[in-house]
Amino acid sequence: MRAQIELLGVTKRYPNGVEALRSVTVRVYRGEFLAIIGLSGSGKSTLLRCINRLVEPTEGRVYFEEEDVTHLRGEALRRHRQRIGMVFQQFNLIERRSVLENVLVGALGRVPVWRSLLGNFSAELVQEALHNLEIVGLAEKAAEPVRALSGGQKQRVAIARALMQRPQVLLADEPVASLDPATAHSVLRYLEQLNREHGLTIVCSLHFLSLVRRYASRVVALRSGELVFEGAAEEITPERFRHIYGEEAEEVELR
Amino acid sequence: MSLALRIRALLADALLGAYIGAVVYRIVWGQILGGSPPGEVTLAEWLGYAGCAGGFALVGQLARCTPGAWLLWRESMRPWQRAVAQHVVWATVVLTIWTGWSVARVSPVEFFSSKGLESAARLFGALLRPELSILDAALLAMLQTIYIALMATVLGLPPALLLGFLAARNLMRAHPVTFALYAVLRVWINFVRSVEPLIWAVIFSVWVGIGPFAGMLAMLLHTVAALAKLYSEQVESIDPGLVEAVESTGAHPIQVVFYGVVPQVLLPFLAFTIYRWDSNVRMATVIGLVGGGGIGTLLMQYQGLARWQEVGMIVLLIAAVVWVMDYLSARIREMLS
Repeated sequence: MRAQIELLGVTKRYPNGVEALRSVTVRVYRGEFLAIIGLSGSGKSTLLRCINRLVEPTEGRVYFEEEDVTHLRGEALRRHRQRIGMVFQQFNLIERRSVLENVLVGALGRVPVWRSLLGNFSAELVQEALHNLEIVGLAEKAAEPVRALSGGQKQRVAIARALMQRPQVLLADEPVASLDPATAHSVLRYLEQLNREHGLTIVCSLHFLSLVRRYASRVVALRSGELVFEGAAEEITPERFRHIYGEEAEEVELR
Repeated sequence: MSLALRIRALLADALLGAYIGAVVYRIVWGQILGGSPPGEVTLAEWLGYAGCAGGFALVGQLARCTPGAWLLWRESMRPWQRAVAQHVVWATVVLTIWTGWSVARVSPVEFFSSKGLESAARLFGALLRPELSILDAALLAMLQTIYIALMATVLGLPPALLLGFLAARNLMRAHPVTFALYAVLRVWINFVRSVEPLIWAVIFSVWVGIGPFAGMLAMLLHTVAALAKLYSEQVESIDPGLVEAVESTGAHPIQVVFYGVVPQVLLPFLAFTIYRWDSNVRMATVIGLVGGGGIGTLLMQYQGLARWQEVGMIVLLIAAVVWVMDYLSARIREMLS
C-alpha cells in the first residue's frame, strides 16, 4: 500500500543556520494515528509543517496522495493546505470573536475572497459549522466569544475549525501541552473519535509517553532533527527512551 | 586587533580633535578677542580643523593618551595616559556647555532688567484679566481649529491604514518586491515625520495659499506618516500563531491579513487614531499661528495689536480645550484596552 503522506530525505535549514530536520524519511498511512515524540527543538513542529507546507523543505521531497507538494506555490499551495487541518498548542483562535466565527475561518479557502471580507458566509456553511461544533460537543457555545471558554474548550473549537476544511489529514502540534491532564484526555479522545469514526488520519506531536501509548497507533521519534525510532509505542523500552530523550531523562507518567 | 575597531578609534579621535579645534577657534578665541570671526569659513580654517583632526589622531596613536586610544588599549594604558584621556573628555564637556551658553546668548542681566520685568508684569497682568467680550469669537475660532484637526485625521485615516500594513516588516519580508516597497515606504514615513508640521504648513501655503486648507494639508501629511508608523509597529508585534493558523486553512493572503492580523490590531488602531486627533488639535493651534486659520490665527491677530487681555482669553480657552481633549481621549483609550 502506498502511504498517504511521504517525507523522503527531508532536510530543513532555517535562514539562521539551524538544521531543524536532517534527511528525515517518514511515511504516514491512511487512517492511522501517528504520534511524533522528541525533546523541544528536536524538529517535531517543523516536520508537521512540512506536511501542510507552512514550511518549505530545503532538501528532499514531500508527497501527499502521490502528488509532489514539496515546492508548491500560490493557488496550488493553498489548495494543498485546504485538505489538511491543523491545531496548535496555543489554540490560535480570534479571542474577541464568537466561537461560530472562529469555526468559519476554517472555510475561508472555499469562500471567494471578497465575500469573506464582508463576513458573508452562506447558510450552508453556517449549518456545517454548527454541525462540526456538535461533533466536538460545543454547539450550545456557538454565540459566545472565544475568550470566555476554558483551554480545553478552545482546543475543541480549533478542532471544529480544522474540520471545516473537510480535511483528509489532521495535524496536531502539541495539542494538549497547555492543558491539565483531565482536559488533555478529553481533547485527545475527540481526536481518537475522529480517527476511528471518520477515518481521519492524525499526525500528532506529544510530550507524554503515557498519552502516546494510550492513543497512538504508531510512533516516530526525533532527536536533534534526526529520526531515531519508528514503531509501536510498546516497543519503546527504557533503553530506547534514553536514546530518544538523552541519558538524564526519566519518564513522567500522565494518567 | 581588528581593523574595524582601529578605524573607529581613529575616527573618534579625529572628530574630537576637529571639534575641539573648531570650538576653541570660533567661540573661545572670538570671545577673548571681543569679536567673532566672519560668517564664512575660509579654506585656511578648514585646513586648520583637518590639521587638528589629523594631529589629535596621530597623538592618540603615538602617545596613547586620547579617548580613541582608550577604545583600543584600555587594558594596557599607563595611569598618566588614562588621566590625560579622561581630562580630554572633561575639557570637551566643559567647552560644549560654554559654547551652548554663548550660542544661546544666555543673559541673566537681561532676564532681570527692570525694563524687562516691567513689561512682563504688564503682560502677565493683562493675561490674568482675560477679555470676556471676545469669548464667542474665540469659541467659533476654536471650533474651526477642532474641525480642521478632525478633517486631517479623517482624511489621513484610509491612506495610513493602507500604509500601516504595507510598512509592516512581518507582512512584507517574504517577497523581494514587497520588501523593496516596504523599505521605500519606511524611508518616506521617517522623512515626512521628521519634518515638523509647521514646516509642511509653510510649504503647502506656497502651494494652495495661506489659510486653513494649507494647515489641514500639512497635518494630513504628518498624520498619515505618524499613524502609518504606529499602525505598522502594532502589526509587527502581533502574535504570529493566529496568522499561521489562518494560513494553514489554505486561505488567500488577503484573507490571512483580514482574519489573522486585523482582529489583533483593531482596538490598538482605534486608540492610536483617537490619540492622533487629540494631538492634531494641539498642532492645529500652533499651525494657526502661521496663518493656518482657527484659534491660532485669531491669537496672532490680537498679539499683533498688542491686545494682551484678548490674548489672555484665547490662551485660557486653548488650555481648557487641550485639557478636555486630553482627558476625553485618555478615557476613551482606557475603555478600549
